[in-house]
Amino acid sequence: MKRRLTISCTLALMGVFLFGDAVRIYAKGVVGQALLLRAWDRTLRGERDVKPWRWADTEPIAKLEFPRQGFGYVVLAGASGRTLAWGPGHVDGTALPGQRGNCVISAHRDTQFSMLRDVKIGDVIVLQIANGQRVHYRVTTKRIATDRDTFLLAPSSQRKLTLITCYPFDAVRPGTHQRYVVTATAV
Amino acid sequence: MRRVLFLAVFFIAAIAVNAQPLYKLDDVQSGMLLVKTTQPGIYAEAEPVNTDVKLQVEGMILRGEVTQQFHNAAPMCVEAIYAFPLPENAAIDRLRMTVGGRVIEGQIKVREEAEKVYEQAKSEGKHASLMTQERPNLFTVSIANIAAKEDVVVTIDYQQTVEYRDGAFRARFPLTIGPRYVPGSTPDQQRVTPPVDLNRRNRVTLVADVDAGFSLSEITSSYHAIDKRALSGSRYEVSLSGGSVAGDHDFELAWKPILGSEPKAATFVQSQGNDRYALIMLMPPAASNQVRLPRESIFIIDTSGSMSGTSIDEAKRALKFALSRLASNDRFNVIEFNSVLHTLFEKPMPATVDAINQATGWVEALQADGGTEMRPALEVALHDERAEDTTTVRQVVFMTDGQVSNEDELFALISSKLGRSRLFTVGIGAAPNSHFMSSAARFGRGTFTYIGGVNEVEEKMTSLFTKLESPVLTNVAVRVDDESAEVWPARVPDLYAGEPVVLVARMSRRGGRAVVTGSIGTRQWNDVQTVGTGGSDSGIDKLWARQKIESLTEQMVAAENSDVKQQVTDLALAHHLVSQFTSLVAVDVTPAGVPSEPCQTMRVPVNLPEGVEGEDGSLPSTATPAPLFLLLGSLLIAAAALIARKP
Repeated sequence: MKRRLTISCTLALMGVFLFGDAVRIYAKGVVGQALLLRAWDRTLRGERDVKPWRWADTEPIAKLEFPRQGFGYVVLAGASGRTLAWGPGHVDGTALPGQRGNCVISAHRDTQFSMLRDVKIGDVIVLQIANGQRVHYRVTTKRIATDRDTFLLAPSSQRKLTLITCYPFDAVRPGTHQRYVVTATAV
Repeated sequence: MRRVLFLAVFFIAAIAVNAQPLYKLDDVQSGMLLVKTTQPGIYAEAEPVNTDVKLQVEGMILRGEVTQQFHNAAPMCVEAIYAFPLPENAAIDRLRMTVGGRVIEGQIKVREEAEKVYEQAKSEGKHASLMTQERPNLFTVSIANIAAKEDVVVTIDYQQTVEYRDGAFRARFPLTIGPRYVPGSTPDQQRVTPPVDLNRRNRVTLVADVDAGFSLSEITSSYHAIDKRALSGSRYEVSLSGGSVAGDHDFELAWKPILGSEPKAATFVQSQGNDRYALIMLMPPAASNQVRLPRESIFIIDTSGSMSGTSIDEAKRALKFALSRLASNDRFNVIEFNSVLHTLFEKPMPATVDAINQATGWVEALQADGGTEMRPALEVALHDERAEDTTTVRQVVFMTDGQVSNEDELFALISSKLGRSRLFTVGIGAAPNSHFMSSAARFGRGTFTYIGGVNEVEEKMTSLFTKLESPVLTNVAVRVDDESAEVWPARVPDLYAGEPVVLVARMSRRGGRAVVTGSIGTRQWNDVQTVGTGGSDSGIDKLWARQKIESLTEQMVAAENSDVKQQVTDLALAHHLVSQFTSLVAVDVTPAGVPSEPCQTMRVPVNLPEGVEGEDGSLPSTATPAPLFLLLGSLLIAAAALIARKP
């Protein structure tokens, strides 16, 4: 009886820890965006390289808005795992937000970009850049690609926006090789 | 399924007809860079750039010729833009563009003007080529209006001084660029971070003709297999075995002269117009008989994300080696930095066995993650509590890949805070930013050591520490008996065992004597050199101009002198050199006969350096383990409840 109680308690404790980890990951996405919104407001007021928190190795460079769905997220420089834990990240080496070329932004499928599944062709996406200007894009394609399809990062002569997240959305395990890709061109 | 089959058949047909692979986005299987074609939705693969390198060495001066062939496989005209690295002390002085059998010589112009000339030619549909300097070791080439199926060949000539270290001369040719950490504030982020080709398709061939001036005991390549042929006892011809290699690891050639007793100073002279140029080389003695002075050693280790992979292992190994070389009367401290900074001890501690063991364990546990905030680490390291102490030597050893972009800010910090300390940089990884590290060492009056692989950590660190333990000649100065003489660098570094010091002087036509002075411990030392006559094309004048530009540019950092820009521009124009403010541009007057619509612009990817891990070759990973944790968590709690409730 005592042994069974120990096993039961151990399992329950492990379960709670895993739950806690999951909550921490989701919370990071929510709290991060709150801190980032403050940093973005300061950026819009003319400050540059605003670090959202003291030890950050990234800074907000744009705000991505989905008017039809009513979502808005601050976009960070760089798309490493460290950055994406907090919010959508701009992939280094691709065109900067608002500039001519292919601007690529990616985010987690289970936090900010879980809403990409609701994006329809023809939807408007707005990208606000540091000088306050808003660039309007219209969604032209949705597709499923693999993680080796780096042509999606290739430069473009048009003003283009590429949003990338993991696919399938409901997969339980991380590390899938499929990606859900939404492209939009400036209007 | 039927749709896929149909597409496949369509594509096999399309390839057969065209003999040119074209892709639809859905059909691409591996990572590749594509360019658009005139047919919507159909893409062609971007061609890699192949590079031929010819190196010619005479004594201390190396002249290199780099030929890059760009083939446009796409069925429309393109403008190609690619970044390529050169050794950090290289001076580019010639650009040629070959198109349709015609060779067009590049003209040196002020950068803005060169860009204007290039844009003009581009809009008129002419072939044009522009070379600009982005960093002292990083250049970009743009080629306008390459018609479909056309080849354009760009050839550049450069010059550098050969390095002499540990009894061997060494020449390095960088073959790719490491991904750089850009702290947001750099305005030219896109230019210094080109796309990366994970498949490493860019190929390089290399031949070298080395005339050392002395008989050689051996000539070896550090990282690549080579074929060699002796032309005489002192002259060898070297080429890469198997023709070409993937450009993913820097090339290094080393040759050892046979010397009975090494000379103390040597002078090479070039007569050019009304001037005479002299290269003065100070050679340390082969074996040092110095008394070992107690040292205060501060070690800095970069644990930023760019160091992840084999780099951090190399750095840790190098650091543990350094700790093992400490003597009991030394003091030391270790600083680790990424986005934040940690120091092992609050202040430097005596190197007791316990302290070294504690340090070794601490270093072993370090992990690479986060940004590269170098400034605070350098500030802490250069803070000297015993600045007036002349009985000990204070040395800062800095291990990093140097992938930062706020270089100027860091140089200013080093030159203002140096005091009696000396800064030694150790480059880690396949493609460290050696411009940053050698300049940092120059500001710090120390030296730069490059470690190209885990297997050479011990060898390179041993020679660095042999050197650190025995400064041969300090407070070195040169006096020339010619009032118009100009000697660079103005701040002469200390002379250590196994590493010569090179000075370049411009004098009037009549030549004269150069007196080199310095101190060996407390004793004064001097040597008198006579500057006679020499040939006219050995390139010492260009080396002198380049050294002067470097010193002036560094002054600009330190003093924000606005005259400097004009001085650098004038020097570079006079000596036909590409610099921060001058560019080479070549324009073919014959129109290319391409359609009037604007060409596609294509940024040619660089190879990912060997040993670097990164997301560059694949799309970002964008799933968190949160759903998995939630599911497992619920299962475990449910199981716990079941077990507990069972009677």
